[in-house]
Amino acid sequence: MTGAMVAARRLLGFWPAVTAAMLIVTAALLLLPVVNIVGLSFSGEEDTAGVLRNYQMFFSEPYYYRTLINSFIVSISATVLALLVGVPAAYFTSRFHIWMRSLIRAAVVLIFVSPPFIGSYSWIILLGRNGLVTTTLADYGISLPSIYGAQGIIFVFTLHYFPFVFLLVSSGLKSIDQSIEDAARNLGSSEFATFRKVIAPLLAPSISTGALLVFIACFTDLGTPIILGERFRVLPVLIYGEFVNDFGGRPVLASTLSVLLLLITTAALLLQRWYASRNAFGTAAVRPLTLQEQPFKKRLLAALFVYTLVGVALLPLVNIIVSSFLKANGPVLLAEFTLDNYQRILGTIGRPLWNTIFFTTTATLLCAVFGTMIGYIIVRRPGRISSFLDTIIMFSFAVPGIVLGVGLVVTYHHPPFAMTGTALILILAYFIRRLPFSVRSSVGMLQQLSRDTEEASVNLGAGPAMTFIKITVPLLSVAILSGVLLTWSNTIRELSATLILQSGRTVTVSLEIFNEVVNGNFGVASALGTVLILLTFLPLSVLFTAMGKREDALV
Amino acid sequence: MTTAVSINKVTKRFDATTAVDDVTIDIARGEFFTLLGSSGCGKTTLLRIIAGFLRQTSGTIRFDDKPIDDVPAHRRNTGMVFQNYAIFPHLSVFDNIAYGLRARGCARAEIDTRVGQMLELIQLAALKNRRPRELSGGQQQRVVLARAMVIQPDVLLMDEPLSNLDTAMRVHLRAEIRALQRQVGITTIYVTHDQEEALLMSDRVAVMSHGRVKQIATPLEIYNTPETRFVAGFVGECNMLPGKVVELADQTATVALGEGGRLAVQGVSGVVQGQARTVAFRPQDAELQPVPDDDTRGLCGRLVDIQFLGGTVRFVVDIGAGAIVHVAAQRRTGAAIPVLGGRYRLDIPPHAVRLFEPAPA
Repeated sequence: MTGAMVAARRLLGFWPAVTAAMLIVTAALLLLPVVNIVGLSFSGEEDTAGVLRNYQMFFSEPYYYRTLINSFIVSISATVLALLVGVPAAYFTSRFHIWMRSLIRAAVVLIFVSPPFIGSYSWIILLGRNGLVTTTLADYGISLPSIYGAQGIIFVFTLHYFPFVFLLVSSGLKSIDQSIEDAARNLGSSEFATFRKVIAPLLAPSISTGALLVFIACFTDLGTPIILGERFRVLPVLIYGEFVNDFGGRPVLASTLSVLLLLITTAALLLQRWYASRNAFGTAAVRPLTLQEQPFKKRLLAALFVYTLVGVALLPLVNIIVSSFLKANGPVLLAEFTLDNYQRILGTIGRPLWNTIFFTTTATLLCAVFGTMIGYIIVRRPGRISSFLDTIIMFSFAVPGIVLGVGLVVTYHHPPFAMTGTALILILAYFIRRLPFSVRSSVGMLQQLSRDTEEASVNLGAGPAMTFIKITVPLLSVAILSGVLLTWSNTIRELSATLILQSGRTVTVSLEIFNEVVNGNFGVASALGTVLILLTFLPLSVLFTAMGKREDALV
Repeated sequence: MTTAVSINKVTKRFDATTAVDDVTIDIARGEFFTLLGSSGCGKTTLLRIIAGFLRQTSGTIRFDDKPIDDVPAHRRNTGMVFQNYAIFPHLSVFDNIAYGLRARGCARAEIDTRVGQMLELIQLAALKNRRPRELSGGQQQRVVLARAMVIQPDVLLMDEPLSNLDTAMRVHLRAEIRALQRQVGITTIYVTHDQEEALLMSDRVAVMSHGRVKQIATPLEIYNTPETRFVAGFVGECNMLPGKVVELADQTATVALGEGGRLAVQGVSGVVQGQARTVAFRPQDAELQPVPDDDTRGLCGRLVDIQFLGGTVRFVVDIGAGAIVHVAAQRRTGAAIPVLGGRYRLDIPPHAVRLFEPAPA
C-alpha cells in the first residue's frame, strides 16, 4: 500500500467523513445564519453612511435603545429575584425536614417545563384588569399592582425561571461532603455563617450557572413580554415587530437588533464560564450533605416559604387546567362548568397537533442521531476539529430562538434553498436549537465509559462504523433515550423561533395558543394549553419514573 | 523457529516523553512471550501499537514477515484481552464470543460450531445464554479469552488480564490460560507487572524499563543470570552491595566489601582489577555459619533480626558500615535456629554471585 493511499483512506474513513458532515450541518444551520445577520447588520440601502449606520440609528433613537434598557431591567431584576427565592428554597428543601419534599421537587419540574407564555396569560386571567383575584379583592377595596408592564413581566419571569436556580443548587448541594460542613461547625461557625462562608462559595458554579440560564431565558423570551408588555417593549419584541410588521418587515434592522441580542447573551455566557472556572473546586462528595435536625418553628417557617413560592408559581398551571373547563366570554371566564372549549378545539386542533408532534419528533430523532455522533467525536476523537465542534455546540446555547429564526429566514429565502414557511425549516430550527441536549447526555455517559469495550470490538474485526452501531450505541442507549425525552419536552413548547419561521401551513399548538391569547379567546387557549402541558409532561414522567432520573437532569 | 511477530526498532513518542524506545523483539510461532515491567514502562503502549490502536513514531512491525503498520486495527487479526475484561455488557456469552466471527462474515453454521467448541474449551457451555452481569469476574475473563481466541488470531494480546481478580482466582486462571494457550498453540504476547506471573507462564520474558527492553530471555535465565543491575533487582529479591575488585584470576574475582569483608565471584568477564562494582546475590543462596569474633575471613556480620514467615525464615545480617544483607532459609522442623545478636559468616557459592555496574551516585 502506498503512502498516498494510506493518507487518502485516513481522510475518507468513517469518522473523518462523519466529522465533516457534522461540521457542514452545524455551520449551515448555525454559523451561516449568524454570519448572515451580522453581515446584514453592517449593510444599508445606500453606501453613504458607513457600516455602522444601523447601530448608530439604534443608539440615537430612544424608541429603539429604550428596549435594550428595558430588557436589561426585567432580566436583571428577574435574575436577582430568582436567586433570592431559588437558593433558599433549594437549600431548605435539600437540607431541612420539610413535609412532602418529593412533591415539591415534582412541582418545581412541572413549573420548569410548562410553556412560559401560558403562565403569562394565565396570570392575566387571575390578576388582569378583569382578573379573578383583581375583581374579588376590589370588592374588599384592595387594589393590587398591575400585572402589565415591567413589574408584571418581572413577576412572571421570576416565578417561571427560578426552577433553574432551584435545580442547579439542589444538585450542587449533593456534591458537597458532609464533613466540610461538620468541620466548619466544629471550628465554631454558626449555621448561617457556615452557609455564607463555606457552603455558598462551594455552590458558586451552580449559582452562577443558574443565574446565567435565568438571565438568558428572560433576555430572549418573546411570548411573555408580547402578552404582558403592552407599551413596555423589550428587545425581542422589537425584533419580532420589525421582522414581521405589516409593511413587509425590515430584515436589516431586525438583523441589527438580533446581533445586539446575540452579543449580550454570548457575553453573559462567556462571563459565567470564566467566573465558574475560577470558582470551581471540583469537589466530589463521599457522603453528601445530610438533612439537618431543626427546631419545629424553623422547620415550619422554611416549609411555609417553600410552599408559598411553589404554590404561587404553580397557580397559573392549575388555573389553565381549571379554566379550560369553564365557560368563557372572550377573555372573561364564568364560573360554569363546560366542555365547550374542548369541543371548539376538536375541529381545529388536528393540523397544529399533527404539526407539533411531527416537527418535534423529527427534530428529536435528528438530535439523537447527530447529537450522539457529535458527542462521540468530542469525547473519543479529541483534537482541534473536535474542540471546534464542541465550541459550536456551546455557542448554540447562546443563540436565542428569535435570532436563529431571523438568521434562518435571511439565509434560506432565496432559491435554490428557499425554505421559509416550510415544515423543513422549522424542523431544522428545532433540531439545531436542541442539539446540545443530546450532545451533552452522550458526552456525559461516554466520559464514564472505558474505551476498552469499543477497542475490543475493533480488535475483533469490526470497523469504526460497525463498532459505533453495534457497541457504542447500545452502551449509550440509556443516555440517548433520556436525551430524546428531554429534547422532546423542550421542543414541543418552542415559540420564539416558531413565531418567526411559521406560515399558515406550519402552525403549531404553542402558536395556536399564542394566537388565541392575542385574540382574547382565553377559554380555547386554556384547553389548548392543557393539551400542551400534557404533551410536555408525559415524556418527563417516563424519564423520572421508569428511568429513575433525577430532576437535575433537566438543566 | 519461525517468526510470527517481528518488532523492529519501534519507538513511540508522546510530545516530550518517549514511551517506547527503540524496541526490537522477535517472537516465535506458538510462543508465550511476556512483557514485564512496572507501570509506565511502555509495555502496554507497545501492546497497543501491535494491536493497531496507536501508531508508532518509527520502526516496523511484521506478522509472518508482512509489515502491518498501515493495516487498521480492525483488519490486523489480533485477539486482545483487556485488563478490565471489556466484555460487551449488552450481549450474551454466546454473542460475545461470536462477535468477531460475525464481523468477519462467517456463516451461521460455522459460527455455531466454532463458538460451541470454544464454550466447551472454557467450560462455560451451560452459561452461553447468560448476560455478562450474571457472571463472576473469572467467568467473564474466560469469555473474553474465548472471544479473542475463536477468531484464530495471528497473535493473542493480553493486557494484564488477571490484575482485577482476587488472588485465588488469579492463581487458578493463570494456570488455565497457560494450558489453553499450549493446547491451541497460539502465539501470545502477555503484558504484566507481576513477576511471578511472568516467570510461571512464559516461554520468554522481556523485562522493560523506561520504554527500553533490558533483557530478553527464558524465565530461568532472567532469574539466574540477569544481565543488568535493574533486571537483578526487578525480578526476584537480590542483595546488592557496593564493592571493589581486588583480585582477578581466570574467571574468578575477589571483591572487597565495606568493612573488610570479601566475596569470591565465579564466571566474571570484562572486569578490571581495582574497578568499583556492585555485588549481587539472592537471599536463598547464602547460608549462615556461626563464627567467633576474631574470625574475619569471607563476609561476616551480626544477626540483627529474624523474620519467621512459616515455611521460610529470613535473617537480617548487619555486615557493618550500615550495610544490611537478607538471607532466606527453608525452615525444617527441628533444625537449629541461629541466635539473635550472634556473629555469622555468609557462605555464598562463588557461581551464585554476580557483578554489575556500580549504583549511580
